[in-house]
Amino acid sequence: MTLVTLLAQQLVNGLVLGSFYALVALGYTMVFGVVKLLNFAHGDVYMVGAFAGFVVLSLIGGMVGTSWLGVGLSILLSMIAVGFLGVVIERIAYAPMLRAPRLSILITALAVSLVLQNSVLSLTQGQVFAFSPKLGFAGINIGAVFINYKQVALAVVAALLMIGLELFVSRTQYGRAMRAVSVDRDMSELMGIDVNRVIAVTFFAGSALAAAAGTMAGAYYGSIWYFMGFLIGLKAFTAAVIGGIGSIPGAMLGGLVLGLLESFGTTLPGIGSEWKDVFSFTVLILVLVFKPTGLLGKSEQERM
Amino acid sequence: MKLPVTSVLAGLALALTLGTASYAADIKIGVLVPTTGGQATYGQDMANSVQLAMDALNKAGPNTYSMVVGDDACDPQQAVNAATKLASSGISAVVGGYCSGATVPTLKIFGDAKLPFVITAANSTKLIPANPGNAFMINSTGNDQVAAALVVWKAKGYKSIAIVNEGDAYSQDLATLAQKGFTDAGGTVADFETVNHGEQDYSAVITKIKSANPDAVFWTAYDDDGGPFVKQLREGGYQGAVFVGDGSTSDNFFKLAGDAAEGVYAFSSPTADFLPAAKDFATAYQAKFNIAPSSYGPLTYDGMNLLADAITKAGGTDPTKLMAALQAEDYKGIAGEITFKPDHTLARSNFVVVQGKGGKWTLAQ
Repeated sequence: MTLVTLLAQQLVNGLVLGSFYALVALGYTMVFGVVKLLNFAHGDVYMVGAFAGFVVLSLIGGMVGTSWLGVGLSILLSMIAVGFLGVVIERIAYAPMLRAPRLSILITALAVSLVLQNSVLSLTQGQVFAFSPKLGFAGINIGAVFINYKQVALAVVAALLMIGLELFVSRTQYGRAMRAVSVDRDMSELMGIDVNRVIAVTFFAGSALAAAAGTMAGAYYGSIWYFMGFLIGLKAFTAAVIGGIGSIPGAMLGGLVLGLLESFGTTLPGIGSEWKDVFSFTVLILVLVFKPTGLLGKSEQERM
Repeated sequence: MKLPVTSVLAGLALALTLGTASYAADIKIGVLVPTTGGQATYGQDMANSVQLAMDALNKAGPNTYSMVVGDDACDPQQAVNAATKLASSGISAVVGGYCSGATVPTLKIFGDAKLPFVITAANSTKLIPANPGNAFMINSTGNDQVAAALVVWKAKGYKSIAIVNEGDAYSQDLATLAQKGFTDAGGTVADFETVNHGEQDYSAVITKIKSANPDAVFWTAYDDDGGPFVKQLREGGYQGAVFVGDGSTSDNFFKLAGDAAEGVYAFSSPTADFLPAAKDFATAYQAKFNIAPSSYGPLTYDGMNLLADAITKAGGTDPTKLMAALQAEDYKGIAGEITFKPDHTLARSNFVVVQGKGGKWTLAQ
């Protein structure tokens, strides 16, 4: 394998990994934008999404098969189910806390994370489940770089979801309301916007994206377990911060940047797999030192 | 009423004599295994095997054994909690120990509590210096596993290998021992990688391995990540030989790796399938638990019987006498003979080389 092939292959790897980070990071960033909450339960919503997709695929697999159609349907159904779960979580755990000090709601988010994690732990006895749809090994060769169809499908679905979200936020009534609430909640309320509804929609969309990422990760990597949301939750949060938390294009960019940092970090001599996390988190610190608002974040001015 | 001190002492002495008498003692044994988490199937299997051994021992008498299970979840922190709880629950000895990383910090706790500990699966060489003297390892250590590996790799004429571990006490120990062993034998370790437990995405590491193009890849960590790793390795187009350590020799490995498990070599502790003496054990196990015993069943069954044998020889559960009896043991179990070196490790190597064929492990040629 020549150096160019190696780097090109790592580029593909980084982009695939980055699309996962980006999808999960979007949920962090949207919720932060609208309610100023770091939703630490978001990684676990991703995990629940993977399990929901797994259950759906086992149920409908007999009818539609466990190939592309089956996986596509289970992604869709998992998104809907987990979207509603996100709304329920928000109504039960976060809504009563929205006017409370910022720290209380942060602790609530950690509690929700533990509740989700431990519920799945007890239900599954902590075992690792094999998620094995029949998607085959086929793929395309571009030069010496091999890309299998799963990777292509994954990147396309992730891109479509992100474009859909961008259109939703920039073109629709709800999107406009969402942006308004993120700028000034009290004023939006005075202008007749149903803020509670906007918050619910935000949680629905963020959780649905996490569920899509979770189901795709399960189908792509082939295994799911109750703790799978922890690491990706942490990394997606990092991606959101790198891109500028609160900014939707920032989350997409941050996800891809982090994915690429990890795959190239693994390849760089002197860093390798052992130090790749140190490498990517060092980049996070550097970004925060030199551009505290993240790559695409806007600085907020507080008027006194 | 006031009792003269001497009569109280006499009564106490009498009670003690009765307590250590060789007949009809109720003995509680702690079982430290992961019953939740990614390694729960192994842990449950070990607890089942102890139960099976106890059933037979209780039937034969005169002692009555019962067990207290402590769940270490294969996590060092939780293992410390479980061990502390076990140590204060009136047990006389401990059997078990699956994940080396989770077993290391419990050694001191059981040592301080003067509880003999028969370790039946964990086999990192890091356990040896951490042993305060109360622990006895009846599974061969990483040194023996690497010795077995070197024989195979030499026979196959491999010039370069890649090693992947997860940085925990077990997999890192095995990986560094293998690296040193293979380099000393004149081979090249073309790639040495450490990945995070539960990471899921190995694409970057796999691309790197492919570009180093080694004759074989050796995965030294557990099956919960090993299955997906091997699957992604094959999907990524790696064509060479794949080896996994004894932490990945479960049936679950086949579920997780799918077709990619075909042809994978593993170094395994002796499982019931490959032990003629374990036939009755496997039948009884299947009848009681309605499932076949897994990798560490026979060793753990032996571990419990070994402990009971030592208790009989020591005439009771006095820790000093019991440990001396364990050190002097020459016990013939279903997985082979158990005698200990001065450092409390098994005197012989018990590794067999197996290969994945048709969804199960078979003895490799």
